Amino acid sequence: MLSEIPLLSLLLIVPLIGAVVTLLMGGGMAKHAGKAAGLFAAITMVLSLYLLFVDDLSTLDESHVWIDAVGLKINYALTVDGLSLLLILMTTILVTLVLVFCKNEADRPNYFHSLILMMEIGLVGVFMAADYFLFYVMWEVTLIPMFFLISWYGGPRRHYAAIKFFIYTHVASLVMLIGIFAMVFEASSVTGAGIDFAFEAVKAAPFAKDFQTVVFGLLFFGFIVKMPMVPFHTWLPDAHVEAPTGGSVLLAASMLKMGSYGIVRICLEALPLGAIEWQWVMIGLGLVSMVYGAYACIAQKDLKKLVAYSSVSHMGMVLLAIGTLSEIGILFAVVQMFAHGLISAALFMVAGAAGHNFGTRDIPLLGGLAGKFPLFAAFMMFSFMASLGLPGLVGFVAEFGILFSFWEFLAAQPDEWVTVLIAFGPLYMLLTAGYYLWAMQRTLFGAETKKVDLSKCEDLGGPETVALGLVCLLVAVFGIMPSLAVDFIAPYADTLGTFLGGLI
Amino acid sequence: MLDALTGLGVLEYVWLAPLIPLLCFVIAGFFGNRTPQGGGYIAIFGALAAFVVALLASYEYVMSDAYSAGEAFVRDLEWLVFGDYALNFGVYIDSLSCIMMLFASFISLLIFIYSVGYMDGEGKKKRRYYAEVSLFLTGMLGLVVSSNYLQMFIFWEIMGLCSYLLIGFWGFDHPEGDEATENAASAAKKAFLVTRLGDVCLLAGLFILLHMFGTLDYEGMFMQAKIDAVVAANPVKFPVAMALVFGGAIGKSAQFPLHDWLPDAMAGPTTVSALIHAATMVKGGVFLVARSFPLFVQSADVMLFVAIIGGVTAVFTATMALNNMNIKRVLAYSTLSQLGYMVLSLGAGGYLVAMGMETGNAELIGLGVLGYSAGVFHMVNHAFFKALLFLGSGSVIHSTGTEDMRLMGGLGKKMKITSITMLLGSLSIAGFPFFSGFWSKDLVLETALAPASHGLGAEHWFTLLFALGMITAFMTAFYMFRMWFLTFAGKPRERAVLSHGESPKSMTMPLVILSIFAVGSGLAIFANFLCHAAQSLEVGMRWIMDAGRVGINEHVYDGIAVVKHMFGNVWTYVAIALTLVGMAIAHAVYAKRKFEPEAFRIENKGRLYKLVANRYYAPEIYNQISWKLGAGVAKAVDLTDRKVVDGAVNGIANAIIGAGDAVSMSQTGYVRNYAGVVVLGVVVLAVVFVLAFALTGGI
Repeated sequence: MLSEIPLLSLLLIVPLIGAVVTLLMGGGMAKHAGKAAGLFAAITMVLSLYLLFVDDLSTLDESHVWIDAVGLKINYALTVDGLSLLLILMTTILVTLVLVFCKNEADRPNYFHSLILMMEIGLVGVFMAADYFLFYVMWEVTLIPMFFLISWYGGPRRHYAAIKFFIYTHVASLVMLIGIFAMVFEASSVTGAGIDFAFEAVKAAPFAKDFQTVVFGLLFFGFIVKMPMVPFHTWLPDAHVEAPTGGSVLLAASMLKMGSYGIVRICLEALPLGAIEWQWVMIGLGLVSMVYGAYACIAQKDLKKLVAYSSVSHMGMVLLAIGTLSEIGILFAVVQMFAHGLISAALFMVAGAAGHNFGTRDIPLLGGLAGKFPLFAAFMMFSFMASLGLPGLVGFVAEFGILFSFWEFLAAQPDEWVTVLIAFGPLYMLLTAGYYLWAMQRTLFGAETKKVDLSKCEDLGGPETVALGLVCLLVAVFGIMPSLAVDFIAPYADTLGTFLGGLI
Repeated sequence: MLDALTGLGVLEYVWLAPLIPLLCFVIAGFFGNRTPQGGGYIAIFGALAAFVVALLASYEYVMSDAYSAGEAFVRDLEWLVFGDYALNFGVYIDSLSCIMMLFASFISLLIFIYSVGYMDGEGKKKRRYYAEVSLFLTGMLGLVVSSNYLQMFIFWEIMGLCSYLLIGFWGFDHPEGDEATENAASAAKKAFLVTRLGDVCLLAGLFILLHMFGTLDYEGMFMQAKIDAVVAANPVKFPVAMALVFGGAIGKSAQFPLHDWLPDAMAGPTTVSALIHAATMVKGGVFLVARSFPLFVQSADVMLFVAIIGGVTAVFTATMALNNMNIKRVLAYSTLSQLGYMVLSLGAGGYLVAMGMETGNAELIGLGVLGYSAGVFHMVNHAFFKALLFLGSGSVIHSTGTEDMRLMGGLGKKMKITSITMLLGSLSIAGFPFFSGFWSKDLVLETALAPASHGLGAEHWFTLLFALGMITAFMTAFYMFRMWFLTFAGKPRERAVLSHGESPKSMTMPLVILSIFAVGSGLAIFANFLCHAAQSLEVGMRWIMDAGRVGINEHVYDGIAVVKHMFGNVWTYVAIALTLVGMAIAHAVYAKRKFEPEAFRIENKGRLYKLVANRYYAPEIYNQISWKLGAGVAKAVDLTDRKVVDGAVNGIANAIIGAGDAVSMSQTGYVRNYAGVVVLGVVVLAVVFVLAFALTGGI
């Protein structure tokens, strides 16, 4: 029977087998490692696509006691719902496309492709975990392959970047771990039951408001470093600049989402009263990150650094939306996570391709590329336009919904003057258009600078075109028919929004 | 036979009008180079098909019962549902949509045909050109048939994208060299960003409207009872929202102070200029105001603001056409000025309606409706004569290879068709009696004066606006004939000597067709055009359904009466006199005397001349603002990031790693760093645990 197959576990097991097999393909087999990894990633993707056709996702839940000793109960529990479904799909699809894009990675390909698959385990695991301990383990699992992707395959300052990445996110996850312990132990003490790490067990506990407020702070800190929000964001540009293209894509598309996913899944679900106390902090950090990140983009000269800062700006939108604590806000926060995942994947592929194909990503050195490299120019323009929120593409839907939810939030405030804060929305949109258009003007258009010898450079190759083409296709499809994504998320957002609305 | 046409039921398929050009965009984009003319015939087919659909659908709608009952034809599909809101995708057809669809598709068709000749030498780039112009047409047609504001905004932005792409058409390989290439790239960016400033205002306005109305469907919003309730509940937010919506129109229709992108947009091919100025893009903003009229008229203040912006734009931008020597720029400024007229007419008309509704004065409402119809009328007339003038100038540029009128002259003999058709276009835009511009401009001016002569408050404003309108009329006549005489009269100068004569048929044929319309479109006033235009206002305001034909007097419904009234008005003759004087001065200065190019070098001129020739330094002001608020802040942010934020991080890390060294006694690379990590982790862990325990009272 199909229903007896532990589908969610398979989403972890298949890439795990893939990672091991690929890793072992050293020596003469190494040149086939990419194909093997791609095969396993594709199987995972197909399995995850099956989730779309499951009527009741809760029937897929898996829960087994993992450790039950010294009064601690840790579970191997997996679940999928409207919050995580699209994030999982996005991850499995992008891992596959990344492997297509990076097909020709020449340096120790078996390690490279294996690391990408290990990342997939961690990412999908975080989005599926229904137990705090498992969640934390998966969270850390993503850290290690990314560390090695940067420090082995990265650019010239890779060691600095890798360590910075490691310290930042590691400190953040330690603080988060403390929050988790506090929550799990407190849950046991208020309910009188044993110590149980399962989401359900903690969620059932009626925490006091002060406790929620403190623990919210711990977890929130852990998550916003990952997102990342200003002022904890400086690890991201460094990590991106040094990371190989494949690592960058997964870092921006999926790994950053772990932070915002955590805020919704844990902070909002388990600590709603704390969330209400922290509401303005979330809104404020979101607004600051949106505008600060956008301004930082204007100043960048490295194409990849520009795109990295744009992630800070766009993830600020997610926190802003979550901060409204409303149904519409949560709904479009998830839409934005999904949209940013797809669009940032395209952006980093483009930025990576510039580095591979032209030997530099330095904007002042480039110029007039559109004449010689029409494919590259078309994809760059498409992804930039998508990222600046061009209507008809998925980014616009998310932006529209988020800024609208923000307006609803502002209009409901007793103080009328706060409504002027909506001006951050137009400012953000204008700055975003500004830095992208300026960057395009300097790279694609104008006369050639002649500072780089472009005569031997080639336009995008077959694998790159296929991967980028598919990502862009998804960006357009979900932009034209956003209900394809929104309808999956809506029931979850409705439940959580109503729950929070009842508490405010 | 006509009955058979209405039986086709094309109205139900009116969405094909934007969809067919969209398919042509895809087909031309992917396979254009495998077809003759790089996809040119695909684009022409798309425009033709869209025009046929528009024509049949319009005819069917006008013949339908819904038309006479003052109802729109509406079809909606659910697009996106969230919370308590549902956004739709659909069509909303009233007379305004029909008028817009018809002239947009018809003029685009002629421009596409003309392009076959004009763009013939562009080689493989034609594929991109024809794909993008098809998408442009999709944007415009989608905009005008949209059933709600969000959908309209989507097409609005698609048009913005297309204008960006087409203005930057030569943005990486301009035939005239690197400088022209850089200019094209910069102009494209400027057009997108300046209009984007308007767009984000519009979007903010839409958030407020969606929140207040609970919907963005025109049909659901345009209900007097609902509007009254919303206005009563939001006395401040509602006018603010409408002002923001108008901000979108300021950007798109290039009104002061966001006007300066349009002159730069000349960097694109001339056919693109024709498309932007006549059939699409800048007409979008005027359409937005006309479409939102039922909401705008709720606030007389906002309408006054609209009228002032329009009047100021009209005169301010006309001055820049007075001394420019670039044939396309003169036309660009004239577009700005004429758009000002349209906005002025809508603003003054809306003010009259607002005041009429407030005081219950039906005559005022009638005059306001006339103003609305006049604005729409001027938009249609302008579309024809401006398309004609741009394509004519394109023909001249094609033949002489320059845009500088100082190098032309005497082309009348070499290019008979071009010179005659452009003369007809110039007469139309100048408002020469019985040419198309004459009829609508006169109504616009009449509307501008009406609030003043009826003593409705703000008299001084409207008196001023009327005076500005009159001055603009004089200037228009002068600069248009200055252009015509410089180009076609006198002795041939440098480039005119080299001219290879008249352009090919594919270019002159559209000129001839357009000149017929440019001259004749004004006569639509006798075919009840004003009445047809006003129908969309009846639909939006629900005048027929709710309260009969409130106050709409014969001034609107009877074209003959309007014309009679026009010729009974002394100001009509004043305007005619001003036009003739303007033409006469242009003749005296630029045709009778021998033209001395040296006398027209900016360096030899006075301060005022330089100020105007430099566009009142608007480009510099734009640059200063964007550098100060954009790059300036960006530099500060970047510095903060590297020095303050990273400085703090590195400082803390070094301090801890230093402590780590002391503990581990290790000095080498990684181990040192890892030690730092571990120590840092432990410290944080300890601090937070203590804190957590203290605050929660222990576990």
